Amino acid sequence: MKKLVAIILTLALMLMSVSALADIVICQNKVEITTQMEAFAKLYEEKTGVPVKVITGGGSSDYNTVLKAEMQSGREPDIWVIEGPSGYELWKDKIADQTGADWVQYTAAAYMDGDKVVGFPVAVEGYGMAYNKDILDKAGIDPASLTTYDAYAAAFEKLDSMKAELGLDMVVSMVAGTVQNMTWVTGLHNFNVYLTVGNQRNDTTYIDQVLAGQVDEERFHQYCQYVALIFKYSDPDMLLNGTQDSQLAAFANGKAAFYHQGNWMDPSLVALNPSFEIAYAPHAFLHEETDGILVNPPSWYVVNENGNKDEALAYLNFLATSEEGANYMVNEAAMVPAFTNVTLSPSTPLSKSVMDWNAAGKTYDWQQYKLPDGFGMGTLGPIYELLASGAVDVDTFEVMMKEAIAGIAK
Amino acid sequence: MQHGALRFLGGVPVMSSKSKRKLTEFLFLLPTLIAFLMVIIIPFIFGIYYSFTDWQGTGAASKMVGFENYVAAFQDVGFLHSFLKTLLFTVLNIVTVNVVAFIISLLVTSEIRGRNIYRAGFFVPNLIGGIVLGLVWQFIFSNILPTIGQSLGLSTLSKSLLTNKDTVMFTMVTVNTWQYAGYIMLIYVAAIQGISKSVMEAAEVDGARYWTRIMKIQIPLMANAFTISLFLTLTNSFKMYDVNVALTNGGPVSMFMNKPVQGSELLALNIYQTAFKYNNMALGQAKAVIFFIVLTIFSIIQVSYNKSKEVEA
Repeated sequence: MKKLVAIILTLALMLMSVSALADIVICQNKVEITTQMEAFAKLYEEKTGVPVKVITGGGSSDYNTVLKAEMQSGREPDIWVIEGPSGYELWKDKIADQTGADWVQYTAAAYMDGDKVVGFPVAVEGYGMAYNKDILDKAGIDPASLTTYDAYAAAFEKLDSMKAELGLDMVVSMVAGTVQNMTWVTGLHNFNVYLTVGNQRNDTTYIDQVLAGQVDEERFHQYCQYVALIFKYSDPDMLLNGTQDSQLAAFANGKAAFYHQGNWMDPSLVALNPSFEIAYAPHAFLHEETDGILVNPPSWYVVNENGNKDEALAYLNFLATSEEGANYMVNEAAMVPAFTNVTLSPSTPLSKSVMDWNAAGKTYDWQQYKLPDGFGMGTLGPIYELLASGAVDVDTFEVMMKEAIAGIAK
Repeated sequence: MQHGALRFLGGVPVMSSKSKRKLTEFLFLLPTLIAFLMVIIIPFIFGIYYSFTDWQGTGAASKMVGFENYVAAFQDVGFLHSFLKTLLFTVLNIVTVNVVAFIISLLVTSEIRGRNIYRAGFFVPNLIGGIVLGLVWQFIFSNILPTIGQSLGLSTLSKSLLTNKDTVMFTMVTVNTWQYAGYIMLIYVAAIQGISKSVMEAAEVDGARYWTRIMKIQIPLMANAFTISLFLTLTNSFKMYDVNVALTNGGPVSMFMNKPVQGSELLALNIYQTAFKYNNMALGQAKAVIFFIVLTIFSIIQVSYNKSKEVEA
């Protein structure tokens, strides 16, 4: 009998120590900031005594697969990341309401379900046409003038004719290949240019059309011309075979005047020590003027209704409203915080440019994540590659894109 | 004394020695049996069940949809294309792996010096994981070969072979052969060593040439090794996934039935993408069931054909 009691006590103790090991479990998808996030978790534990465990999926392992495995492991994470409506719909039943949390007043980028606040913006990210100011200056191009298709066409042509004297290998550093898994650049980010540029944030006209299998003929035609323009002035081998690293290296080493990527590349960019000034120009694909870059939270933290909800909410509040949180977001993780109370300014060029455009209120929404899973990368991406490889011309490209979009409704 | 399954001595059941042995055997089998049930049989049955539902991979309720997923699978141009590409890859791969493995097994069983080093050397690539191997070879194909090609002025080599839809299959066959031939070689080496010396010497005395000895004596006597090797290469090629994903990621894009498709996406990768990229678990599961049936049929045909060719010395 004594033995049995001892065994039960030991078991109970073990169970308690297991649950005390991590009071908040976070499942997240940013591989590049895992170390920084774990350091911040440790700092939080020192400050409050609440241990935080970070589980990371992403990069080469698929985040959603990792999350599903965690959910079914019997110890559901208390905080995890959703990347948009498909993630929200999937886990809706488990996601807690965060309305009224302290951080809500400082941001316009929370994930909403009707009037309910359900997602904490992890950061804001932005992309546009990053440019090398030295090269544009030498070519006599004012980046502020790049607000129409025609301005870009003229600028690209001029740069192309001066390639030798500017030391350029290509005008635009762009990637589109499936072999290196880069179709998210085209099928998601570039496609979003069609969806939102020129529109008010939250205006869902074009995404709604696409989801119904339709496009706006005139706008879409213009968009396809813009894609063809970018590809024409890109390096063909880079398009098909370029990796995130080689794409960045071409720009950072001054071999390309423009760079089609977002501010998440900042840590790698800074590591290459570019010797010139860098900022974003808009993706202005229309003949009419549009002036703004594409900015949005790429993901949101949601809280588990059935987990350690109060601790999780307190952690998120600390992240958004404390100095330590601001320092972690801006200086450690090099993110652009979505919160107006954060006054720190990022030191890296792309993030700084995103912050400037954001402060000027010249931003367009991200709506590519409203596309069905796999559609942008797996269905549209290959069509971009066909155009990039020269297998189809721009007219066929337009027809194939429309066909693919028409197939979405099925 | 009574003989039977059970008898009672003072209320304690005692078994006869025969059923006792059966129980012992069963208990020894149990751990493996449980593992086999848990990781193979039960998921397999669940998988078949899910292929008839609209399951999404979460706990959410799913309903039966009959053969809808199977119809959708056969209407999927990408899936059909992957099917043909997998058949092509399998044929190419079986031939190259076995030819290369057979040749090097002849080499390492000959009187050549340092043959043990060769044996080890040929086998080592098999110890490297497919993902690592894929990434290493991707670097070779997309960086090193183009550099060599450009400096030598060879136009076919100056672009990455991975981004050309006509050459990408050969890169996959090359990498898989490099990885797998050493393993198959071991089977052939064992078979060659199993052939009695006297048979070979008798043939030599009778004036049979080297080539004749291989064709008329060695190959027929090694037929069971061919059965195993062909079976292994058939299933290995058919299920090829890791090298596919790391080396080409299914690219480059090509056209098939007027639709853009992934030029080198084999079946396993197509199934994975359906399930996890498009988040269409049930359709992916239906494709996996089709995949299983086809592979089973091919394997049975291959094994029964090869079995009929086996001879005794």
